[in-house]
Amino acid sequence: MADKESTVFIIDLGASMKATNGGRKESDLDWSMSYVWDKISNVVASNRKTLCVGVVGLRTDETSHTLAEDGYDHISILQPLGPMSMSGLKTLQPKIQPSKTTEGDAISAIVIAVDMIDTFTKKNKWKRQICLVTDVLGVDFDAPDYGYKEEDKPAVKKQNEETLKKLVDGCGEDARFASIVEAIDDMNEPRAKSVKPYKTYDGSLTLGDPKNAPAVVEVRVERYFKTHLARPVTASTVVVKEEQAGPSQAADDEQMEGVELTAVKQSRTYKVNDPDAPGGKRDVEFESLAKGYEYGRTAVHISESDHNVTKLQTQKSFKIIGFIPKEKYEPLLNLGESCVTIAAKYDEKSELAFSSLVWALSELDSYAVARLVTKDEKDPIMVLLMPYLEPNYACLYDVPLPFAEDVRSYQFPPLDRVVTISGQTITKHRLLPSDELSQAMSDYVDAMDISNYGIDQDGEPAEYATIDEIYNPAIHRINHAIKQRAVHPERPVPEIPPVLLRFAAPPTELVETVQATIDSLIKAADVKKVPPKAKGKRQREAVKPISGLDVDALLGGEKKGSISPENAIPDFKRALNSSEEVEQIADATKQMGAIVQSLITDSFGDNKYAQAMESIGVMREELINLEEPGQYNEFVRDLKKKLLSGTLGGDRRDFWFKMRWAKLGLIIQSQSEASTVTLEEADEFYKSR
Amino acid sequence: MADKQRDWRREENDEDEEGEQELDESSFKAQKDAVLLAIEVSPSMLEPPPASSSKKAEQDSPLQAALKCAHHLMEQRIISNPKDMMGILLFGTEKTKFRDDKDGRGGLGYPNCYLFTDLDVPAADDVKALRALVEEEEDEDEVLKPATTDVVSMSNVLFCANQIFTTKAANFGSRRLFIVTDNDDPHASDKAARSAAAVRAKDLYDLGITIDLFPIAKGESSFDLGKFYDDIVYRDVNAEANGTEVRTSKSGDGLSLLNSLISNINSKQSPKRALFHLPFEIAPGLRITVKGYNVVSRQTPARTCYIWLDGEKAQIVTGETTRVAEDSARTVEKQEIKKAYKFGGEYVYFTPEEQKSIRDYGPPVIRIIGFKNRNLIPAWASVKKSTFIFPSEEDYIGSSRVFSALWQKLLDSEKIGIAWCVLRSNSQPVLAAVIPSREQSDEASGTPYLPAGLWICPLPTADDLRDISAERGLDCSEDLKTKMRVVVQQLNLPKGVYNPLKYPNPALQWHYKILQTLALDEEVPEKPEDLTEPKNKAINKRAGGYLEDWAETLKDEADRAARSRSLKREVEDDGVSERPAKQRKAAAERPSGSTFSMAQLKAAVESEGLSKMTVAQLKDVAGAKGLSTSGKKADLVERIEQWVEENS
Repeated sequence: MADKESTVFIIDLGASMKATNGGRKESDLDWSMSYVWDKISNVVASNRKTLCVGVVGLRTDETSHTLAEDGYDHISILQPLGPMSMSGLKTLQPKIQPSKTTEGDAISAIVIAVDMIDTFTKKNKWKRQICLVTDVLGVDFDAPDYGYKEEDKPAVKKQNEETLKKLVDGCGEDARFASIVEAIDDMNEPRAKSVKPYKTYDGSLTLGDPKNAPAVVEVRVERYFKTHLARPVTASTVVVKEEQAGPSQAADDEQMEGVELTAVKQSRTYKVNDPDAPGGKRDVEFESLAKGYEYGRTAVHISESDHNVTKLQTQKSFKIIGFIPKEKYEPLLNLGESCVTIAAKYDEKSELAFSSLVWALSELDSYAVARLVTKDEKDPIMVLLMPYLEPNYACLYDVPLPFAEDVRSYQFPPLDRVVTISGQTITKHRLLPSDELSQAMSDYVDAMDISNYGIDQDGEPAEYATIDEIYNPAIHRINHAIKQRAVHPERPVPEIPPVLLRFAAPPTELVETVQATIDSLIKAADVKKVPPKAKGKRQREAVKPISGLDVDALLGGEKKGSISPENAIPDFKRALNSSEEVEQIADATKQMGAIVQSLITDSFGDNKYAQAMESIGVMREELINLEEPGQYNEFVRDLKKKLLSGTLGGDRRDFWFKMRWAKLGLIIQSQSEASTVTLEEADEFYKSR
Repeated sequence: MADKQRDWRREENDEDEEGEQELDESSFKAQKDAVLLAIEVSPSMLEPPPASSSKKAEQDSPLQAALKCAHHLMEQRIISNPKDMMGILLFGTEKTKFRDDKDGRGGLGYPNCYLFTDLDVPAADDVKALRALVEEEEDEDEVLKPATTDVVSMSNVLFCANQIFTTKAANFGSRRLFIVTDNDDPHASDKAARSAAAVRAKDLYDLGITIDLFPIAKGESSFDLGKFYDDIVYRDVNAEANGTEVRTSKSGDGLSLLNSLISNINSKQSPKRALFHLPFEIAPGLRITVKGYNVVSRQTPARTCYIWLDGEKAQIVTGETTRVAEDSARTVEKQEIKKAYKFGGEYVYFTPEEQKSIRDYGPPVIRIIGFKNRNLIPAWASVKKSTFIFPSEEDYIGSSRVFSALWQKLLDSEKIGIAWCVLRSNSQPVLAAVIPSREQSDEASGTPYLPAGLWICPLPTADDLRDISAERGLDCSEDLKTKMRVVVQQLNLPKGVYNPLKYPNPALQWHYKILQTLALDEEVPEKPEDLTEPKNKAINKRAGGYLEDWAETLKDEADRAARSRSLKREVEDDGVSERPAKQRKAAAERPSGSTFSMAQLKAAVESEGLSKMTVAQLKDVAGAKGLSTSGKKADLVERIEQWVEENS
């Protein structure tokens, strides 16, 4: 649970706030409000009952508040202190307008704000803040929390500022007095949401068998998340509310403003195969179903009473199985989020034992491998424990390790040598770097070292792009866009804040200084881009087995043109390969088309659909390669007609859906230059029925 | 239907399953894998190994080893590739069997081919039948009896495989024929038969079916690919430019034929599907192509499904989802659906184009932004699994040599790259460390079970960090550290590496073991051996004495620390009783141990609290302050008082 917070914003709405300063296009008020709206929309976004805001207008035309004393004129409570909703935000927005007056006292407004907070929070534990945005001093300033100052303010206001500054200083350490420039800068820097520590394990860490061995290591420890993947907010699936979803609604995205949306739920129906039912399937009641698992294609039913039967019985434990030297571990094995383990508090024996373990591992440059069951009945995982010592901190970090099943033993060729078919090993080859390239790469890597390229708070060289400087662009990008859209629905989606792209490319200045090194690397690398045309282009030379045997030559010429249904695809490819005239291609396409149609016609349900789909896919691919898109397009137009008219053994619309899904429609110009079909025509072809 | 559903789910979870989706080279194909294992049955395959008194001697005939391996593969694929198909074709058999198809031609077309397990997702019965064949000493059905007449026609075998794939695994993204044989020259004297086989092999190639050969060699003789199989096997078009060699299985060097075969087949267990195929921008203006592979990835048991039991046979039901509006419960059409974000109790809406622009970080790329010393990456900097990348010459010629140069340099200088990665269009960008893995043969390699190349290891961001503020507990003595060091040194894992292959996931294995016994109606087995449990006996044997030693010292130190803490509490209770109770409690619990603060000591001296303490407590305080702990009580009190005077 995060702390309860209440914040009152006092916004100076005096006539002077209309002015435009500092070369900006917006008025002072609008500019200052960009900060306030950001803060308020954060509150709205949080959707928390215990995060409350109120807004007080200062130097308003009217007076409306709860203090019945004199001297509090031209101050209005625009938004009583409380949780903020989207509709609250919308009601508030039109109220933030510059007034016609310059009357009104900032200190009085603070008194009112304090009164609001007092009344609302009573004596309970709350974080209380007041934020005063005003140009009394020049532009703005702040009471218990943020604020502003202007450097070139008129001397007359100096005293005002001092008074306010004194007030701020008197409020204790937490109060700040700052200029809006600073405040807005602050706002652009992403903020990581802080999350309270989450305990993932609380129990013993052991080495040896406590039950049977005479002496073991047994330490009471606590384990917490160290990293936990933060995710961007996800969009909900919604539809326009029914009363508004008239026939003319037609998903007109331009007119979405003011339209109410409602959530979409999912309801599931269940079907089983039944040869007697129409379409081969029929519905079954959810209540009649049992739970189970698939073992291969066998359904294994597990009765309610022993639903846990496949679960390994485990007991909460954290057992070290052995140690490895640090240099033998590769961080690329890490399978996920890391945790931190510390000794339980107020337990001398555990603290000392833990200390000796951390120290011993650290001095030996070793890591421990342990088997961890975080709670009874949880599946065991293997973790790697890594010691960490700091003057005020001693802990073991851990990362999850893979099991045997988690590693796929793919084979890859070696990177530093080439093995020829005859089994020889070569170290000089076009696939291997020359000495010159190796040297150029080495120079480049050293030149682009950013281990010390950054600057720390004291202006000293420091590591560049440290983890606490990296923000997840996706999270902050979407939050930024949502807040903007909520406050200003009329504006287009804002650009990506540049701070989120800070590490999208190497530092420009560094690149400039090492440009010569980069140039020599590029020269030594001598990389050539494969022209896009040649990539998909059919290789005219025949494919050969490893021996290089010309297989096509083994066949008698007479067999080449005919396509048998049993071996359709190889026959088709062979026919195209040996074709010299367009007529031969046309003939092969025709034969293939007939085979496809008979596959569909003969299909019981969908049992031959996959075969037909495969054949169509091959036809499309081959005819694109041969630059004969017209022949395919002709075929596919005819096929669609037959599918939809039911001449291929009944209702075959389901096959047409499959084709649409797999994008096996018309070949368009961008896919094959010889095609006369446009993208629009192709889209229409998919859509029309 | 199933495909549609899978796709729908993918769309629904695209945020979560990012990066899970494997690269779809041709979109019209189903992303499934089918493996047909063709095993030769011949007198030489059946020949038992030479009799030997040695315990380690070979036990299996080549055929037995091949069948055991098939059984192993089948069980493994049910776990690791539950949606993929597998079949077993025995060739060279006297018996002939194809499918019991109604419209099929039976086995007539494919003499000496016995389709033992038809190509399909394996069922429990398939596992059972195969196990029976492996375990039964007597081959009752005479399935494994070799043909007596002619040599078996390889072109016929290949065409049989062709038909099995074409009908059962049509339109699969990956189809592979594994041939296990010890005969390197089936048609030595028959050129026509050789040519016919080559033509049938080309058919398979045209169908996109890959042939993987698993040759078995016996004794000193080697398997000569040049005699026949070089006409049959094609280079994989998707394979790396620098091809991998065919490995021959044989027994010897302490490795049984079975293990050798299992290891060779295992390396092809999953089809090598690339996750992505991307430009890798090593420097501004220098791009190469790499492919990404999911080499390390957590395997979990399949989720539960619903089963319909009212029919003759239990059936897994297929679910279909309809969407309804929450307010009116009316059914919603797909084109009506919009995506919006919840914000302050209402929805904030973006058009699909706007949504897309928000997620757009430019075209996919892996872009190096600089290099760092390897040790700058903190040990805990882990949030997600890593992805293996390997060069491909497809888009940029010369990719391999540049990649190799970078890989070598990073290894030599112990550096890593830092890269901005957009791994697919509209996916979240991540900053990752680019870390090299060593050659498997490299002595220094900690990962001899992984290929050499580069790995994209996503780094945590500031958003992913959790702040743990905990005060440091007590520090132990040098003595205790030293004793623990000895213990650690005794208990290194074999070869000093964590080799995951030695640790099967006990929960996963148990889950499938139980499913198998339920499916086959067998007895529930005893609890299996769990290799992830510590070897307590060995630990005790190797380090028991040192552990006792350590434990004794720990006990002493802990007792002392406990005394000193409770002493401090007493002193505080006595000396500074005017403090509010709450504060005092907090102070007492502060785990600062024997670091008695100056103020506390001073208070104790002034109130004559020191003389109320026991000798043990005084010794503790003196010890903590680096004073001698010898002498009588009065000496201790005096020494401490003097120290306080001098140091306050």
